[in-house]
Amino acid sequence: MLEWLLEPLAFDFMQRGLLAAALVGVVCAVVGCYIVLRGMAFLGDALAHAILPGVALGYLASGGQRGAMFWWALAAAVASSLGIGALSRDGRLKQDTAIGIVFAGMFALGVALISTARSYAVDLSHFLFGNILGLTTQDLWLTFGVGLAVLLTVFVFYKEFLVLAFDPMLAATLRLPARFLETLLSLLTAVAIVVSLQTVGVALVVAMLVTPAATAMLLTRSLPRMMLLAALIAAASGALGLYISFYFNVASGAAIVLTCTAVFALVWLWRQARRPVKG
Amino acid sequence: MKSVFNQHSHPSDQPAVALTGLAVSYNGEPALESISLQIPPGLRVAVVGPNGAGKSTLFKALAGLLRPAAGKVRIHGHAPAQHLCLAYVPQASQVDWNFPVSLRDVVLMGRSGQLGLLRWPAAADQRLVDESLARVQLSRLAKRQIGQLSGGQRQRMFIARALAQGADLLLLDEPLAGLDLPSQEQILKILDELRGQHITVLFATHDLQLASEHFDRILLLNRRLVAYGTPGEVLTAEHLTAAYGGHMQAIDTDQGRLLLGDSGGHAGHEGEPPHA
Repeated sequence: MLEWLLEPLAFDFMQRGLLAAALVGVVCAVVGCYIVLRGMAFLGDALAHAILPGVALGYLASGGQRGAMFWWALAAAVASSLGIGALSRDGRLKQDTAIGIVFAGMFALGVALISTARSYAVDLSHFLFGNILGLTTQDLWLTFGVGLAVLLTVFVFYKEFLVLAFDPMLAATLRLPARFLETLLSLLTAVAIVVSLQTVGVALVVAMLVTPAATAMLLTRSLPRMMLLAALIAAASGALGLYISFYFNVASGAAIVLTCTAVFALVWLWRQARRPVKG
Repeated sequence: MKSVFNQHSHPSDQPAVALTGLAVSYNGEPALESISLQIPPGLRVAVVGPNGAGKSTLFKALAGLLRPAAGKVRIHGHAPAQHLCLAYVPQASQVDWNFPVSLRDVVLMGRSGQLGLLRWPAAADQRLVDESLARVQLSRLAKRQIGQLSGGQRQRMFIARALAQGADLLLLDEPLAGLDLPSQEQILKILDELRGQHITVLFATHDLQLASEHFDRILLLNRRLVAYGTPGEVLTAEHLTAAYGGHMQAIDTDQGRLLLGDSGGHAGHEGEPPHA
């Protein structure tokens, strides 16, 4: 058993991968708690897809430099979330309609850009499905720094985000800056998605946002505990998924997401079995 | 204790609520038209009217959540957006009861307006929350997750939140809907106890009898203001027909003449005006 655990650690890329999987898991899980509570999973998935043109442009402009692509991707995500806000603000279009329009349009733009640069297609697939084992130490530091900033922001605005998620009406009567907080939350979601790009990729990142948070919600009835549990579940699933990927030669992003899903399924079945639900 | 709850000082010559020609519309459809009235501080007002009369719309306009299409809303002489002293208690159906918060967490949310950004609740805020919980007799259940509370406990929780907020204008949207009689009475009793603090209460209800028995004033609404005054002044056959149209039925009982509204079985007295 110990050997099974230690063997992969002999490789530098596995050490970095495990650290990144845990870091990204924690950041996504904490932001994901608000996404689950507010029923914004579709927005999360849409933002993840909408960054593709940013990734493609960044790749073409910088010749594949990772740091540059990070900022391009972030810019695309921010532009998309602001665009969705602008389209749905006056109430003419429902928010999910606005999300559908922006997300499909941006994703198509990304695919179109990629198709013009065929030779880069293989590398770009890393962004679709993740390439956690290709992380450099520098990538890891960037992930750590940005992730820490996201967690600090969530901590600082904890009580405002809580009011906004539970009772938007109260937020309005208490004159909280609702639009600023909404935008900030979309921004945090966008940043969490961009740091997850390398670990699980555009196509699967919504699982990192939603699944651990949903699992934690089945287990506790207090928000701080939900965040802590979600973070632990996500970090553990990230590490376990990477081991599975190492030993069974499965794509790493898929292995991580499948592990999260399996944990959720177990918890859900366990809850079903011990109904009626008690707190 | 009184001083703890009423931190706001308002000019005493201003009405708690003053509306002049208020109109609100949804997507061009008028929901409220030309409402003008003044409510002095400390009164308890029942807002009644048929379904779709605009009761919730009126509350949202008062709270500054809906922008008027025309007219003016003044709360203690100021625009609604300048006030933190107003609390809106939503209908129970609009709340996510699975949300992972405890009763106490929800009451503490009432403090977040005064606290402002980047500040955490201090001991004084915690004390205010404890006192508010005691007021509505929920101290014992403070740690319960909100999904495990009964309907009456949930409404009392929101009243406690309004108290913790320091609100002196309470907008309660059908707070008694679906509650059993003892829970209804408990809430009415708590509202009685708030009378001494000059807290103005607006209370939307379908129940004309309840409105006539427990409230100082009745505001009868059907998109327009049909009548506003004491229960005796408002609950006349003429006003009720104007508000409820042909859907009214008059039934003679030993208590006087009973009028049934369109919402099924909610009744009010006519004839001998009930004492307020």
